[in-house]
Amino acid sequence: MGELAVSATPEDELVSMGLGSCVGVALVDHDRTFAGLAHVMLPSANAAYSAPAKFADRAVPTLLACVERLGAQRERMVAVLAGGAQMFTGAKAGVAGLDLGARNEAAVRSALAELGIPVRAAATGGDRGRTVRVRVGEARVSVKEAGGVEVPLWHPHVHADDLVEAQ
Amino acid sequence: MITRYDEQQLDALCELASIGSGTAATALAQMLGCPVELAVPRALALPLADALDAVGEPDAMVASVVLPVGGDAEMVVLLLFSYRCAESLCELLGVEPRSELGDSALGEIGNVLGASAVGAFAQMTGLALEPQPPHVLYDMLGAVVASLLSATAAELDFALVLDASLRVETAECGLSFLLLPTVGGADELLGRLGFEGGE
Repeated sequence: MGELAVSATPEDELVSMGLGSCVGVALVDHDRTFAGLAHVMLPSANAAYSAPAKFADRAVPTLLACVERLGAQRERMVAVLAGGAQMFTGAKAGVAGLDLGARNEAAVRSALAELGIPVRAAATGGDRGRTVRVRVGEARVSVKEAGGVEVPLWHPHVHADDLVEAQ
Repeated sequence: MITRYDEQQLDALCELASIGSGTAATALAQMLGCPVELAVPRALALPLADALDAVGEPDAMVASVVLPVGGDAEMVVLLLFSYRCAESLCELLGVEPRSELGDSALGEIGNVLGASAVGAFAQMTGLALEPQPPHVLYDMLGAVVASLLSATAAELDFALVLDASLRVETAECGLSFLLLPTVGGADELLGRLGFEGGE
């Protein structure tokens, strides 16, 4: 929660468990050796200091800088999103801020667009919690919804441009 | 660790949690007509990343009752329990679990616990506190808690969690009873207890 992790170790798995209105932002390199995952809680920074990934507007550039430090190239990065649910509906929405999930997702998308990183897949919205997993070695992203089973969300092989690149 | 509260202030909040959860346990015992045991509560000021882990496994599916409290000090009262525990509490109250009636009974448990704890706080501090209607949710623990902490801990890097566990022996059921005050709410409570609040 409010944290981020990056890895260049193929055996690593990055996980954000129990995302509600929070958004899990995964950055994956076409090279399939670099990946990062941030757990964003709120759209924009309103405090002088903060946990590294608490706010979307800071988390996205910080996450990119961290994977670039590992050797990843910005132009090869793609983003995969999960979370941003509306956990509380109707009159209770005020508990967690009105449409907080949707506002988080919009802030993440706009921060990514500013950096020129395309969003290739997203499991967002709805009213259920989610867990997102990034398998670094395979650049594979999967998501599990509350009460559901883990399903693949993104994998480089399914995209034609990656297949061309692989040759 | 970044925290605005010192040991003494946390002790005071813990004492408040202790009195609140004690009152809540008595009210629950009366409602259910069976003994309710109360474990010593904790007051934790934790970095956001650790706050979730302190409450439980973020991936675990839980039944939860969320009771927002408005008025002079804003906070959220949160009850967390297992699906099995939700079922046995419903059985104890003679209603069908996972039905509209069952959910409304769990909401009522949240209401009774929350309102009695909040009533005790109001009495101790002289603050006007207004519990709002409860909300019953079945989801991942992390999704429920993090979504609430996004609101209560918006301005800070740590979360204040007052945590007590209640055990209903007849139903073999353990409940987590959590208070998540907003920063303003905690300062207001501390102010009334004779502290300056956070610096």
